[in-house]
Amino acid sequence: MNEGDKISVCVTHRFSATAERVFDAWVDPEKVCKFLFVTATGQMLRTEIDARVGGGFTIVERRAGEDVAHVGTYLEIDRPRRLVFLLAVPKYSSGQDRISVDIRPLGSGCELTLTHEMASRQAEHRGRAQEGWRRVLEMLAEQLPLAEPSRAAGQG
Amino acid sequence: MMQAGEFKARLDRTLVALADPTRRSILERLSRGEARVTELAEPFSISLNSVSKHIRMLERADLVRRRKAGKEHLLSFNRAPLDEAAVWIEQHRELWTLRLSALDDLLRAEDDLLRAEDRARRKTIRPRTKRGKP
Repeated sequence: MNEGDKISVCVTHRFSATAERVFDAWVDPEKVCKFLFVTATGQMLRTEIDARVGGGFTIVERRAGEDVAHVGTYLEIDRPRRLVFLLAVPKYSSGQDRISVDIRPLGSGCELTLTHEMASRQAEHRGRAQEGWRRVLEMLAEQLPLAEPSRAAGQG
Repeated sequence: MMQAGEFKARLDRTLVALADPTRRSILERLSRGEARVTELAEPFSISLNSVSKHIRMLERADLVRRRKAGKEHLLSFNRAPLDEAAVWIEQHRELWTLRLSALDDLLRAEDDLLRAEDRARRKTIRPRTKRGKP
């Protein structure tokens, strides 16, 4: 994990299923359409997966009359330990987030750690933006307990 | 979830606004209290005009707010956009937690089905006394 200079989130889950089965579920359209970008009230329209490095996926769900596509590109495929892909939701943002799935086999079952790193929309700013982000968080940590955020500017 | 795109676009603006060292210094100064544009420009060797441009960018990202006091424009720091990052992290933690547990349920259901099929297969090999309809 190289967090701290990116906006990212990390989640861990333990499965009783083997690492292989858990890994395969991520590239199996039959399963993906049931757990990945599905919502309780949505209707899954299309799940296309081309599980090769450089290949991609398209998952389209109808949500309240709107078709929402999750589109991705595979960057690393190392069955059953690691899967990395870029993810975009073109309807909402032109940015591509990076999702890493790391699966560690255990004596029985496995442990999956997922890291989702948010992209900056403007790729050329990305490195500097992340640096900026880290600096500002440091600044906040140092300064804000002392300086009450100003209310003078009024509400929106 | 509907405002997800707008929310993310705002986060993008925040990140871009923070990408520049001059703008970070301006924010740092404002986090200590309100200031006039001229005060903000003082420590920099660049023109007032370009400082104003940086300030406008910070305003667009809503990191800086402006109020008028008589003829003066006073600028202040607004941390809300930074807090949005915390919200993004929480939302996504929740989403992924739900998705992973949905995957877990899916695999368990598959196991249950396999076990049931297995039992059914054994039954057909070694049928017990029939129950229900013949």
